Amino acid sequence: VKVLIADDSRVMRQIVIRTLRQAGFRDLELIEAADGRQGYDTALAEQPDLIISDWNMPEMSGLEFLRSLRGSGSAIPFGFVTTEGTPEMRTTAESAGAMFLITKPFTAETFRDVLEPILA
Amino acid sequence: MGTYTAPTDQDLWQITEQLWESYLDPEGGRPLLIGPPSATGLDISAAVSVTGSWNGHVVLECSMAASRAAAAAMLGIGAEDVAEADIADALGEMANVIGGGVKSLLPGECALSLPHVVAAAGHRRIWPAVTEVCRLHGSWGDEPVTVSVLEQREELERGRRE
Repeated sequence: VKVLIADDSRVMRQIVIRTLRQAGFRDLELIEAADGRQGYDTALAEQPDLIISDWNMPEMSGLEFLRSLRGSGSAIPFGFVTTEGTPEMRTTAESAGAMFLITKPFTAETFRDVLEPILA
Repeated sequence: MGTYTAPTDQDLWQITEQLWESYLDPEGGRPLLIGPPSATGLDISAAVSVTGSWNGHVVLECSMAASRAAAAAMLGIGAEDVAEADIADALGEMANVIGGGVKSLLPGECALSLPHVVAAAGHRRIWPAVTEVCRLHGSWGDEPVTVSVLEQREELERGRRE
């Protein structure tokens, strides 16, 4: 299973990778992108099974990344990991086609609960 | 703006403690403790700005030693292996997470900026035209850590008029 992690923070990408392992997802092929634009290009080139993306990023935000992806006809499962989880943002994310929105700081339990149905 | 309950010192503790428990001290062996107010040793700061129905900044300040330890803990590597870029990245992400928590307590719709990090030993960062809403004085392994929420003063004045 191939998972693309898009976050402009290398530190946060490492935390997401560590949390995926702690949540029990050990046999993943992980690829990284440092902003939404790079995420979009990588997603089209690599066709991952899941995209985990930050919301606030330079170049292209996570929301623009998702909208561009859906606009291109791609239906790759997509979810946000972000510091902001207001009801308005959750609605916006869902409307754009996101499967989940996990707020930072997160735990391995949250990752397991949200991602197990998708990665199983 | 109408009246709202401003974030308190206790809210800030709760948000910051959650960050520490999740990313910096998941084993519980090196928690962030309440520390004395420190005017010195706060050599690096990371801030996110909040813009919208509430305007201001959420600012994290700490010593260089604390920032290096934070980056090491978040990356899961030794402090000696931490690069300068990792320190700015880690501090920025910490400010971002705390800012997101503070934003969830604010009224109306606001946007959070990308974090900006400034390392300037011996020089405290100056924030003009703001009022401090709440502040946390922490100590992490004897190193000073502070977090403050600063509201743009014009907003307070407008709030009083409405």
